[in-house]
Amino acid sequence: MPTVVVASPKGGAGKSTTAILLGTELAHAGASVVMLDCDPNHSLTLWADRGPFPDRIEVLSNVTESDIVKTIKQYDTDGQIVIVDLEGVASRLVSRAISQADLVITPMRATTLDATIGVRALQLIAEEEEALDRKIPHAVVFTMTKAIRSKQHSGIAESLAGQGVDLIEPPLMERAAFSAIFEFGGNLRTMPAQGNMDAAIENAATFAQAVYKRLTEGG
Amino acid sequence: MSDGKAFNIDLGRLKSREKDRSPQAIEKAERAGEDLGFVAREAQKRRGRRPSPRTGQVHAKVMPEISDEIANEAKRRGVQQGVIIEEAWALYKEKSGI
Repeated sequence: MPTVVVASPKGGAGKSTTAILLGTELAHAGASVVMLDCDPNHSLTLWADRGPFPDRIEVLSNVTESDIVKTIKQYDTDGQIVIVDLEGVASRLVSRAISQADLVITPMRATTLDATIGVRALQLIAEEEEALDRKIPHAVVFTMTKAIRSKQHSGIAESLAGQGVDLIEPPLMERAAFSAIFEFGGNLRTMPAQGNMDAAIENAATFAQAVYKRLTEGG
Repeated sequence: MSDGKAFNIDLGRLKSREKDRSPQAIEKAERAGEDLGFVAREAQKRRGRRPSPRTGQVHAKVMPEISDEIANEAKRRGVQQGVIIEEAWALYKEKSGI
């Protein structure tokens, strides 16, 4: 089953939020999901400890540089989707995880700083594709976007699209429910209402569906 | 609040690509990353011998031939002299019913 790696060397880009929304929505849609927490801040583990823990999800904590490849290998073959949440730094752990990915998602806020640093992940993927002689599908998702799209957002999106970067639609908008999931644990359907929950659920589910589409199209 | 499934997962359609997990392939990926600043950042394991847990000390003077025998036996077995003394003490306790 596919391995989805959520990677950006930029901290605060929304990697853990993206990983949790993707994992919980895929699990809600019927998939078994194994989430690997490779972030020394243990964001996924903190979320998992809040409970109630959703069905069909397993979180493995403290996955490190030395065991990332064998851990992915262990779960890559037994009917589950593996989601890897990486730390927000440029590290060897990131290189190793990307080498094992079926899809790399780079979350990026629609700011010049995020785009500039986030692009380093895309450069790394390109280098690894060449080194490994294998296509590594990858896509960018904009995070914490506003209802009204800024000029900066449009400019960055246009620039990335112009370079052939796959942009996942919809972006993950800035929503109270997305940040509160770390406070309440569980998924968007089990947590107490935070803002417009129907819109938040639809946003996360449509995003997960877009990722699922990419996973089923590959091969 | 919506509770229905927005979409259904067909597990049969999810495909995992063949990946090279050989040490050579991982090394290639690492080298590609290092050129872009993706380097090892985890604390490396401490080098050298680990500190001994034997921190207690006895102050014993013994006859020269006994100290030689203890030293030779410890050397032969590749253990600290304290291990021999610990074993002797265990035998003593057993014999004395301590």
